Amino acid sequence: MSIRLEARPQPSRTMIWLSPILAIGLTCCVAMVIFAVAGLNPLSALATFIFTPVTDLYGLGELLIKAAPLVLIAIGLSIGFRAGVWNVGGEGQLIVGVIFGGWLALTYGPGGGPWVLPAMVVGGAIGGALWAAIPALLRTRFNANEILTSLMLNYVAQLWLGYLIFGPWRDPAGFNFPQSEPLAPAALFPTLIEGTRANASILLALVAVGLGWALMSRSFVGFQLKITGLSEGAARYAGFSPSKAVWIGMLAGGLAAGIAGVGEIAGPLGQIFPTASPGYGYAAIIVAFLGRLNPIGILFSGLLMSLLYLSGDVAQMSLGLPSSITGLFQGTLLFFLLTADVLIHYRLRSSTIAAAVVAGSAK
Amino acid sequence: MSQFLPILLATLIAGTPLVYAALGELITERAGVLNMGVEGMMVTGAVVAFAVALTTGNLWLGVLAAMVAAGILSLLFSVLAITFRANQVAVGLAMTIFGTSLGSYLGKPFVGMALVLDPSQAAGGFAQLPLVGLIFSAIHPLVWLSWILFAAVWYFLSRTRAGLALRAVGESPTSAHAIGYPVVRIRYLATLFGGAMAGVAGAYMSTVYASLWTEGLIAGRGWIAVALVVFATWRPERCFAGAYLFGGATMAQLFAQSAGIGVPSELMSALPYLATIVVLVLISRDAALMRLSVPASLGKPFDPQG
Amino acid sequence: MLQLNRRNFLKSAAATALLAGTGLPALAQGEKLKVGVIHMGAISDTGWEYFQAQAWRALQAEFPDQVEVTVLENIAQIQDCERLFRQLSTQGHQLIFGTTFSQYASLKKLAPTLPNSHFECCAGIDAGDNLGVFEGKHHEGTYLTGIAAGRMTKSNVLGWVGAFPVPQVIYSLNAFLLGARSVNPDVVLKVVWANAWVDPAKEKDAVAALVAQGADVISGSPNTPVQGLAAEEKGVWSIGSTGDFSAYVKKAQLVSFELDWSAAHIEAAKGVLAGTWEPTNRWRGLGDGGFVKMTTSSPDLPAEVAAEMATAEAAIIAGTLNPFAGPIKDQAGAEKVVAGAVLPDEEIKGMTWLVEGVQGTLPSA
Repeated sequence: MSIRLEARPQPSRTMIWLSPILAIGLTCCVAMVIFAVAGLNPLSALATFIFTPVTDLYGLGELLIKAAPLVLIAIGLSIGFRAGVWNVGGEGQLIVGVIFGGWLALTYGPGGGPWVLPAMVVGGAIGGALWAAIPALLRTRFNANEILTSLMLNYVAQLWLGYLIFGPWRDPAGFNFPQSEPLAPAALFPTLIEGTRANASILLALVAVGLGWALMSRSFVGFQLKITGLSEGAARYAGFSPSKAVWIGMLAGGLAAGIAGVGEIAGPLGQIFPTASPGYGYAAIIVAFLGRLNPIGILFSGLLMSLLYLSGDVAQMSLGLPSSITGLFQGTLLFFLLTADVLIHYRLRSSTIAAAVVAGSAK
Repeated sequence: MSQFLPILLATLIAGTPLVYAALGELITERAGVLNMGVEGMMVTGAVVAFAVALTTGNLWLGVLAAMVAAGILSLLFSVLAITFRANQVAVGLAMTIFGTSLGSYLGKPFVGMALVLDPSQAAGGFAQLPLVGLIFSAIHPLVWLSWILFAAVWYFLSRTRAGLALRAVGESPTSAHAIGYPVVRIRYLATLFGGAMAGVAGAYMSTVYASLWTEGLIAGRGWIAVALVVFATWRPERCFAGAYLFGGATMAQLFAQSAGIGVPSELMSALPYLATIVVLVLISRDAALMRLSVPASLGKPFDPQG
Repeated sequence: MLQLNRRNFLKSAAATALLAGTGLPALAQGEKLKVGVIHMGAISDTGWEYFQAQAWRALQAEFPDQVEVTVLENIAQIQDCERLFRQLSTQGHQLIFGTTFSQYASLKKLAPTLPNSHFECCAGIDAGDNLGVFEGKHHEGTYLTGIAAGRMTKSNVLGWVGAFPVPQVIYSLNAFLLGARSVNPDVVLKVVWANAWVDPAKEKDAVAALVAQGADVISGSPNTPVQGLAAEEKGVWSIGSTGDFSAYVKKAQLVSFELDWSAAHIEAAKGVLAGTWEPTNRWRGLGDGGFVKMTTSSPDLPAEVAAEMATAEAAIIAGTLNPFAGPIKDQAGAEKVVAGAVLPDEEIKGMTWLVEGVQGTLPSA
């Protein structure tokens, strides 16, 4: 028996909605198998895994501050992904956002007024965008593959930040430890919900969702980007140059990642460390795909990914499982979603069954 | 001049995992499949090889196990990307995240343990032979094998009918299909080969290069391998040379540091990555060359019903 | 060949014991002291995280019926620490350990707000409200291993593979050269930075580079046996600095010292159990209850060198020998410590310069 794909005359509306649910359901099944193998009660372990992190207000706040940067970066990346521009340099762009925003915070933060924080956000955005502009330039001018250049730049950015924190930006009162001075209050996001760490940077993520939606669904540029993603030839024919798509796609990702970087140092960190980036630049790629490159979808997938992170720690604390389970489930979820998405455009046909049907009807 | 031999030797050792991974990916890409999951497959391969070699005390069983494990991951990739025609870049990125996490999950009990194998054992029965034993003790058999692999890949692509079929599938799957080549099967095999080689690369890292498993062991080498294929404009001989060039760049910065060059070490550490970017740019700027070199169907799914 | 050793066995035994201990609604619930520990990396068989784990294992062994330990590992993101420390506290852990400097900032913020728990941070900067810190005088260990290196080198070139230029690493390698120069004034020390905490392949390459530059004794701050194995392969000596790798490095490891935080954990737990815990700043080196322990030395180490090291060790413990006693010049030849003076502890802790004879760079401030 072999399985065959048969193109649907038009994309299945049901499957568009069903496929993420299917993917989540299947991932839960895999999770339960892993729990069972580890000698745990699959159902109660799954319940612990999913619900424990968000049983109180503090947990909800944690969910939001982890989801915010993921959503923000994923929105930015998705604009490029839509146009077939593969920016996998979100991590490096986030770090350069940290460097630019951090420089402003360290220079003007102490004694600075209420303008410091907005300046940091703008500075971070510029930093991220500049870092993203390098692969964009190399792609448009020299035809260099942006996946590889943006990725290599992640390592470079990390070393650059390391140099700054181990060198010029080292906290003089910190015994030479690799950390900056604590950021001044003017350089920190205000807390939104009392008793949690949820801060105003969450609002930036929501704004990004709105802007992303407006750009992709309500603007001509968004339409052009989508066309480019579908067929470069068609876009060119419509007078939209692929270079423009590269620039818009890369810069959107860089801007968003840079702002997310500022959100980390001006939020949960409150200080600059060489390890300021928690890998959000990579995780956001999954978020973007899980959200099917749709801003509203990304909002939900960002929350889901954030929950998975928190659950990974719960798995360790209460279930005795290693924390790498988080990445395992994230990868699995994405696999299932990509598989399930096939069903939007194709029907699965088993040739044996089809043959049997034919044989049966012939009688 | 006395510096020359150690640098050369170190470069050989540093370049070998890249030779395996990049040649594997090269075959995959020549068939038109872009597998960006090399890093993940290498990580899983490294862990599995280490665990098996440590438990059995046999290096070659470890290498074999790594090939099987990374091969299974590449099959998973093929099902999604070839049969289900999902976006190859997305599946590859998912594979990297999945493979890396799987590796660290499986490798948990082995972190920080060192594998001390009898050096003569790697050469098996050959170690007893007078000259061969000496050669294998100076340069590891897996290094020698990587040269044989290179020769085989080169011969396969340029001199065999099967190699021609593979290239045809990569250039134009529709015409290849029309001639009667089993496009899907060839792509599966090419991806499987790439996966197995990524497995060997990972195995080399954990059992020969570092002799231990720890998270962060692969440290982006899978990505470098993907970059090398572009750098090589999909030609095995350039891929082979590129692997050593990158290995040499990594070594050169450490040698420069130890020789007391007064440049920040972070900058030195960034050099191999910057060099990769520069080389990519130099190669890619020739648009005509790239158009000629890149397998025309690279990254595009193939629908047999057309 | 299967490399099983006593330590692996103990490790798995401890892990089993831990699994059995957590999550149990123990009968004596009200009486047990719950201790929480957060590791940044994976607990391995050697290196930093291993020593951290040995400490809470020692704590369990000391109070088998009174203490219950919850351990989290691989918490790599600093952003997560605050949440997890808080969770440990709300779950009733009365004594909570941070295991790395990176967690210090979170703990400093958090400790005053969670009075139901007491906090201790290894490698933290300074004690604060409800937060104690402890760190080892690594330089007392490296000074002694430096003596061995200075005596054993034939080329008068030593090599150091550094992860990152954090203060512990800087004062360690400085003291290493000072120790070597105390017995052999012609020695120089070449330094290579890997710029990664764990990148074994790069560590191995770095050893090759150092050996090619003439180094014949290699040390550093490894978290893995790789440096030693690489040295063995190259036919030079290796020195286990904050790690004994003799189980793997059979021939080349000359001598080693380890970090032992058992006293830090046990004292803190005793204090909490007795209700007398106070935030303290413990910085200890060699000696009883200390955090630095000289461990194995190879049979190839000549007895007179071993004796020389033992004399120096006794003098350090007695307080008559200070590794950072003047005169000490920095790389540029400027006098940093005058003859007869010693470098104050605070300046050792925050060292940003390399002593004369070290060939390598530090990021400039």
